[in-house]
Amino acid sequence: MLSVSSIVLLTVRLASSRYESPFSLSLAACLAVLGLGCQGSIGDAEQRGTGAGSGGSGGGGGTTVASNLASASVARRLSRSEIDNTVRDLLGDATNPAGKFLQEDEYTPFDNDYSRQMASAALIDSLEATADDVAARVLAPANRSRIVPCTPSGPGDAACFRQVIETVGQRLFRRPLSEQEITAYLTLQSYATENNPAVSHDFYTAVALMLRSMLQDPEFLYRIEIGTPTKDPAVLHLNGYEIATRLSFLVVGSSPDDKLLDLAKADALSDANQRRTEAIRLLADPRARDQLHRFHAMWLGYRAIPQTANLIAAFNLETTKLIDRVIFDAPASYLTLFSSPDSYLNDLLADQYGLPHPAGGEGWVPYGTSGRAGILSHGSVLAAFSKFSDTSPTQRGIFVQTRLLCNTVLPPPANVNVDQPPPATASVCKLDRYAAHRASATCGACHNNLDPIGYGLENYDIGGRYRTHDDGHPECVLPGQGELPGYGTFSGPAELGQKLIDSGKLEQCFVQHLLRYAVGRALRPEETGEVETLMGSFKASDHSLTELLLSFVASDRFALRQEDPVQ
Amino acid sequence: MKHRLSRRTVLRGLGGVAVGLPVLECMLNSHGEALAQATPLPKRYAIVFAGQALGGDDWADNASMVLGTRSTTPGSFIVPPETGPGYTVTLPLKPLSDKNLMGDFSLVSGLRIPFSASSVDPTAIPPAGAFRDFHGGGAGPLLCGTRSQSSNFTCRSATSDQIVAGFNKGGTLASLVVRAQPAWYLSGSSFAGRQYISYKGDASPIEAQVSPSIVYHSLFDGFTPSDMGAVAQHDFDLRARKSLLSLITDKRNRVLGMVGANDKIRLQRHFDEIRDLEIRIAAMPPTVGGQCQHPMDPGADPAVGGDNAGSGSDKIATNTGYSDEAARARLLADLIHMAFVCDMTRVATLQITVFQSHMNVFPITDPLGVPVHADLHECGHNGDAQTRGQIPVSTCLQWHISHYAYLLDKLKNTPEGAGNLLDNSAIIFMPEAGHGTQLNDAVSLNATHSVEKMVLLVAGRAGGLKPGGHIATAQAHPGQVLISAMQAVGYTQDTFGEVTGKLPALFG
Repeated sequence: MLSVSSIVLLTVRLASSRYESPFSLSLAACLAVLGLGCQGSIGDAEQRGTGAGSGGSGGGGGTTVASNLASASVARRLSRSEIDNTVRDLLGDATNPAGKFLQEDEYTPFDNDYSRQMASAALIDSLEATADDVAARVLAPANRSRIVPCTPSGPGDAACFRQVIETVGQRLFRRPLSEQEITAYLTLQSYATENNPAVSHDFYTAVALMLRSMLQDPEFLYRIEIGTPTKDPAVLHLNGYEIATRLSFLVVGSSPDDKLLDLAKADALSDANQRRTEAIRLLADPRARDQLHRFHAMWLGYRAIPQTANLIAAFNLETTKLIDRVIFDAPASYLTLFSSPDSYLNDLLADQYGLPHPAGGEGWVPYGTSGRAGILSHGSVLAAFSKFSDTSPTQRGIFVQTRLLCNTVLPPPANVNVDQPPPATASVCKLDRYAAHRASATCGACHNNLDPIGYGLENYDIGGRYRTHDDGHPECVLPGQGELPGYGTFSGPAELGQKLIDSGKLEQCFVQHLLRYAVGRALRPEETGEVETLMGSFKASDHSLTELLLSFVASDRFALRQEDPVQ
Repeated sequence: MKHRLSRRTVLRGLGGVAVGLPVLECMLNSHGEALAQATPLPKRYAIVFAGQALGGDDWADNASMVLGTRSTTPGSFIVPPETGPGYTVTLPLKPLSDKNLMGDFSLVSGLRIPFSASSVDPTAIPPAGAFRDFHGGGAGPLLCGTRSQSSNFTCRSATSDQIVAGFNKGGTLASLVVRAQPAWYLSGSSFAGRQYISYKGDASPIEAQVSPSIVYHSLFDGFTPSDMGAVAQHDFDLRARKSLLSLITDKRNRVLGMVGANDKIRLQRHFDEIRDLEIRIAAMPPTVGGQCQHPMDPGADPAVGGDNAGSGSDKIATNTGYSDEAARARLLADLIHMAFVCDMTRVATLQITVFQSHMNVFPITDPLGVPVHADLHECGHNGDAQTRGQIPVSTCLQWHISHYAYLLDKLKNTPEGAGNLLDNSAIIFMPEAGHGTQLNDAVSLNATHSVEKMVLLVAGRAGGLKPGGHIATAQAHPGQVLISAMQAVGYTQDTFGEVTGKLPALFG
């Protein structure tokens, strides 16, 4: 039985955990204490919502229990990446200005976590710099016709300016502008027409000012969702523009295009079939591939890895080709991402992995009996979660437990220094040093769920290369024998991938992460049912990711929201 | 006879809007010292922060291994054996010596944040003490003098710079909060609070600006051009900028009226920040003259993260873990200097590297002759198998101190009153950690995860500070050094968080 002080310690420590499951940590805290162990299953989550989703109080007190019919949402600020995609798609600026001027978003593990978003003077200054930069480029004479469809008769051509305000404003604000708003922007025309020979200004000066203003406007920067009450006053039905915005940012990571805005205007997106049709159209867009590439890089932790530029380019090619094939080019069960018997290599990668060269310099190469299968064999994934320039069995174990099985891993006790490598012992061999993690029952309680996973991958270094012993120490043999606790022993990424698939939890954990990305925050207890519903669709479609996305978009839930009480 | 002009007269005449006004000669009394009518010269306060400890894990002070060769070289550890003035210049302090600044700062050593060695329970933490988990546990007590309660990187009360900003008002900016390290550099995690050293209060961090280019423009674009031909354009741009921003702030009530309670708070904060920008823009620009000049545009920022294949870290990218922080720190120091000179602000914090920094130190140590293949955090934890212990850690510390020395040198070479700007400042150099008992296990010695044997440097002569010596304290709390520095620039109280009392030795 854990002593009182250590329970206090565990719950206090959780706030700082890097090792989050998609569900909120308070829930994990309960599970950890109840389970008296280092892993808890989110499937056991204590339900807070009522069955019928009436939103009634759970008994006592005045707090309204959240409905499980709709997800809580707030005004979510566009991530850096979403701003860049938007200015590229709507304005033609493909230079990634937000990436240059804005600080990186916090990754938890995704870059769109709205609970981490906080306005600040630094943000406002950076947004102003971004807006100025974009406007200068977009209004340059060679580019300006893209957003100015009319030829102005002079600096004071109000009709032409109005046209620009209406078309650009509708796209940037993702809704039509009111007459009052248009009039307000028209006042900027005075900067085009003022009598000021010392200053170079013309019609486009006013357009640039309009654009700078719009790009700094909260109605551009935040996806504001309001909705109108349904039968249940806590559950709100989104309007067409709000649905269009959700759909577009989910599938292609960018603002709705004109076709979506037209459908929104006609209120066609309240119809599930229309949403589905549009989602199919967007999934065929190359941007959908980029979006899924990014999602995987963040989910599986290989967003930025310590390798040379050449290797990174090669890993990028390999991994994106597999994702594309499984989801788009030769659609198969999503789970084949973790089991595919071949990989897209170039000569550099073939040498790195010790595999035959592809014909013609690049192409699909079978893994054969190499012990590799699926994305867990890729250099991208193998390079992530390294430590001290080598693999860390513990970190890889945490990766599998938290990102692939959605088990919560508690942080180490506060008074343990994890920043040191396992202590030097009589042996220089890594596996011998790692034995220190099993030395005590306290350490072992967590480490026995983590390290054995990593041991099974130790033959694959952080460059994805196969090795039989510690680097520089041939006497330190790496047997590469591991265990996925609860599921048996394995050796190498092919066997690990298969165990994960067979567990039935990999697919659920993927769905949880996808939903987390969609809602922009950790999941709440009332969303457990939604995860189950999505799992049902996923299985029914033989794990088709596109079908999963389509049923999510077509679900009633996609057009609903409720207020988020959490601050 | 010089015309006597009081600062208040000038300021009042401008409608009460905050103005940056450099010290004009006509405001000095005949001794060139305090201003006429007893209005004192402005006092400046700054903190330069280094996200590293003072030694290598399990390596005694002065014990090192460089490229496989072990040695014990006295003078590698920052703290010299002698106290008082004229002490041996140690390895990390060399940049200060090179710039003849040894007489301009005090080295305060032996500082300690208390903690309970017997219990990890949060209730056992002594006042102003550390939760038994480094790095987060040590952050709050160092920055704000209030005990930490968890591993989180946070402060539970205001940091010293913000306290000073509260009473030491001058210019358009309450404080200038900047950071050299722009990215986290590890794919599986992110900053999570390590990027803050300035807090307005409990859990209220101030986001630093990391782009030197944006700092430059936000500080100096308001300057009236000296070239008459450019004045009309400048005026036009300013009016236009105000107009386009007011279109946004004009819609505040409508937007806030549409949304629910949670969104009101989120969006209100954003509108408030835009309004704050409007106020800054509306302020009269400083008068260029004397030492206050419109600096050269630094141009585009150095690229983030080294060779990025994609945009920032949105696609798989090379994580070389370095964004030319050397150039960034230098540019930011230049900007802080000129912001002080022009009295646009009197308070600044420069976080060179974040807590637990994973900045690649090979690019900074190789040029200094001690190539370390690790990141800053790993360097202290023996990350490079061949080069470990004191010399590599002190080399990184020396690199950080070189930026501090650069700033001090600029301040010292800026005449002001009878002396120079440094005479009217208190500028602190603050490393994240010391080199003593490990905070985590409360047992291991010579640990980097330590809030013992900490060091602070205090430069300047504001308010009676008497720099130049090594002051070895008997485990005084670092907060006492900060109280002293705050008092030097006008703080009238004796407490800081849960810490009480200055260090009289800093005042001679």
